[in-house]
Amino acid sequence: MKQMVFDFFKLLHLEPVEIRKGVWQVQADDDLMKELDGWRAQGRLLQFTFDKKAAEMYGADLICPGSYRLHSIVQVIRRQGILSQAHIPHQYFHEPSIRKKVLSGLGAEGRAYVVNCSLPYAQYLQFEILVEEKGLQKKESIHTVMVDLSSGRVLKFAFPYHLLRDGGVGIEAIRKRKLGFKQAFLRATEHLQEIIEATDHTWAREATDKLTLEEAKLREFFQGNSDSNEYRAKEDEIKQRLAPTLTMDALRSALLLIPLYQYRLVVVPTRGKEQSKTLTYDPVSNWYLQDLDQITGDSPDRTSTHH
Amino acid sequence: MYQFFADIASRDPKNESPAVLREIPFPHFTGRVIDRGLKQIIRDLRAKHFDTWDWYSLATRADAFVVNQQKSTELLAVEYLKERWKQVGVVPYPHQLQTARRVIFDMQGQAILADEVGLGKTIEAGLILKEYLLRGLVKKVLILTPASLLWQWYQELHEKFGIIASIQRSEWDWRFSDILIASLDTAKRDPHASLIATIPYDLVIVDEAHKLKNSSTVSYRFVNSIQKKYCLMLTATPVQNDLKELYNLIALIKPGQLGSYRSFKEKFMQDKRTPKNPQELKVLLRGVMVRNQRDTGVVQFTKRIVHPLIVSLTPKEQEIYDRVTSFIRDRSRRSGLQNILPLITLQREVCSTFLATALTLEKMMENLEPDHLSEVASLLKDLADVKQNSKCDILERLIEELKDDKIIVFTEYKASQEYIRYRLERAGYKTLAFDGTLSRGKKQWIRHLFQKEGQVLVSTESGGEGLNFQFCNQIVNFDLPWNPMRLEQRIGRVHRLGQSRDVHIFNLLTKDTIEEHIMYLLHQKINMFETIIGELDTILLHLNLGKSFESEIMEIFLAHEEQEKIREKIDRFGDRFVKGQAEVKTSAWDLL
Repeated sequence: MKQMVFDFFKLLHLEPVEIRKGVWQVQADDDLMKELDGWRAQGRLLQFTFDKKAAEMYGADLICPGSYRLHSIVQVIRRQGILSQAHIPHQYFHEPSIRKKVLSGLGAEGRAYVVNCSLPYAQYLQFEILVEEKGLQKKESIHTVMVDLSSGRVLKFAFPYHLLRDGGVGIEAIRKRKLGFKQAFLRATEHLQEIIEATDHTWAREATDKLTLEEAKLREFFQGNSDSNEYRAKEDEIKQRLAPTLTMDALRSALLLIPLYQYRLVVVPTRGKEQSKTLTYDPVSNWYLQDLDQITGDSPDRTSTHH
Repeated sequence: MYQFFADIASRDPKNESPAVLREIPFPHFTGRVIDRGLKQIIRDLRAKHFDTWDWYSLATRADAFVVNQQKSTELLAVEYLKERWKQVGVVPYPHQLQTARRVIFDMQGQAILADEVGLGKTIEAGLILKEYLLRGLVKKVLILTPASLLWQWYQELHEKFGIIASIQRSEWDWRFSDILIASLDTAKRDPHASLIATIPYDLVIVDEAHKLKNSSTVSYRFVNSIQKKYCLMLTATPVQNDLKELYNLIALIKPGQLGSYRSFKEKFMQDKRTPKNPQELKVLLRGVMVRNQRDTGVVQFTKRIVHPLIVSLTPKEQEIYDRVTSFIRDRSRRSGLQNILPLITLQREVCSTFLATALTLEKMMENLEPDHLSEVASLLKDLADVKQNSKCDILERLIEELKDDKIIVFTEYKASQEYIRYRLERAGYKTLAFDGTLSRGKKQWIRHLFQKEGQVLVSTESGGEGLNFQFCNQIVNFDLPWNPMRLEQRIGRVHRLGQSRDVHIFNLLTKDTIEEHIMYLLHQKINMFETIIGELDTILLHLNLGKSFESEIMEIFLAHEEQEKIREKIDRFGDRFVKGQAEVKTSAWDLL
């Protein structure tokens, strides 16, 4: 929490100064105060502390779970970063090693020559998805799901976030995506569906039991007159309140540009004519974007899944 | 510098209703994928609006922080409002927090909040509303109150909970205000009622919900027709005369909780006031009603200390009092008891100030028979000659003694209010006037001035309704209201939750006048001053007087001239009240 607050000011290029032990001060201008406290607020020296006693003693805004100041800062932060973009530069990978790996991946039989090499970027779309389970109470969870926009695959490995650099790259270097944002989002939710199906659904069963009970009471109240509009309206109200539902909604998304190594190859098989092919390798997911079977006739398990 | 902030308003998609992109049939529930967030993402994509990765990362951390907070089964609002409450001097009581928890976690937001008067039902409702807002469970809220409480609700929500609600002014408000406070009487009428019926509300709060006890009324049918997910009904008197009222109220919240009316009657009603199978009924009621009572010790109120100050009238004042009283008796004998109200007013005014008496007599002259005119004219002349007011003399001395404290002087009459202010100002005291003619803003301003720098506030009750003055603990009843309800309203301005000191009540009481009898009834018989009699309105209703409390007293006074006889009758009337009080306590009320 403390770090989040300091990071917030840092991103605003503001540097809080510790004016007393545990009490920080920052010069907030009109724009920032309006965002934090509403349109009437004006710029001022904002003093804050994480210590209850210091807050009481010096009248600084207390920042603790549930406090007004923390809430207002969190609200401003959450309105940012709805869509972002980052990339992993090619230079983080050693090209000769990749070339070697690609060529060795073609198998021992036959020979292959690299005619040329280009360095495009693939597009991954990362979604932060809010899953809301509403039974007798509401429970929320956030899931991060990443979809490869070229293949539609949901990525299931730990992503090297530490390699990401802010911003995009020149548009000419980005490979076209085959999947739209909406399709990618639906893919991501299909993936979440599988995960949720395997979890405990006691919350839903409890809500269903309560719903059944309340519906029975309602029927008794209306004494069989269940055709009336009033009955239906009341039944709807009960369902709205008690029927277990799960909702998935995207909170934010990031377009991640991943370096690709694309080789134009001449493959000379042991028998038959030489062929000219293109092979693209994704070093982040260790994935070949073309099916190597077409090139070498090697077994698919070695090439078509990521390693 | 904050370029990104500027776009926020146009980027906030929360006001659009989301479309369902995909329905997912899980085995025990339905799932749906909505497009609310996606729409915003695509909008930003089209606008090529990419925030930095650092902001994105920080925002995901903030998301996780908020979601983790919401997992708590404790009230989020308590932590959130801690600072605000400290600033405005609100101390939430354990029973209020417990009630909010029960309503949210056990009752799924369907409840009748039936605490006794003064235990803070509004605070409980505000807390529940705030909690639901923080948990993102409600957005569209309708608060229905009597028109006189609209402003009070607005202010309490704003001051104590940081909730900015709107007060309904036009038809436009129903659809476009998310949190709307409206008068029930306005809302139930067309075209408003038809508009409201089309709006699905997340939460509906009805204050003074005992007005919905009768299922055949327009109000009842209107509230029943509102589409609502959660509903809170606030009333201190969920049952007044008939158990059916309780049944009706519960049917509004949870139809079927008590079965059909026929089965309820068979199973739970011995007669219309006496319950059958009370234990079983209590269990059912607990599922939908929360009632905190004073005598269970949920709140320790400070003491009320009564100081009767006997005022002896001067011979001249006594003479005028006797002449006005005899005029009233004469009028009542001539015109009967049908038009008793002006006579009651006159009798009460003569115990207050002669200025108020003179103004009323002047008005009465327009409708008097010729033979009475000369008498009234002579009375008016003599009233004008009286330069002294013994009550005001005592009041000045009292204020001199209490000069370090803030004091509220209550009077029933505007003319008396002006006279008191004139006298006190003349004696060098700073006074402020508070009455029903002031606008809301002015009332707030006067309250603020009084709190900050005022010494004496001279108020009529109507001006005091809906505003609380816990920062003051000395009140003076310059004249006594005859109705205990009105007296309780006066004392209730200062003696309520949040009052940390004992409250001193000074009653100015004119000797050898009707005020002595009133004081005897209110203080010695009913013990109004020192104890809080909950459910006064229920007791009065139960007494079934057939007329107002004031008329009952006036009739006793007019029917008898001897003081002993009047005392005896007042005594009997007081006994009736006490008996009614006991009956109310032991009948259907015992259930709650």
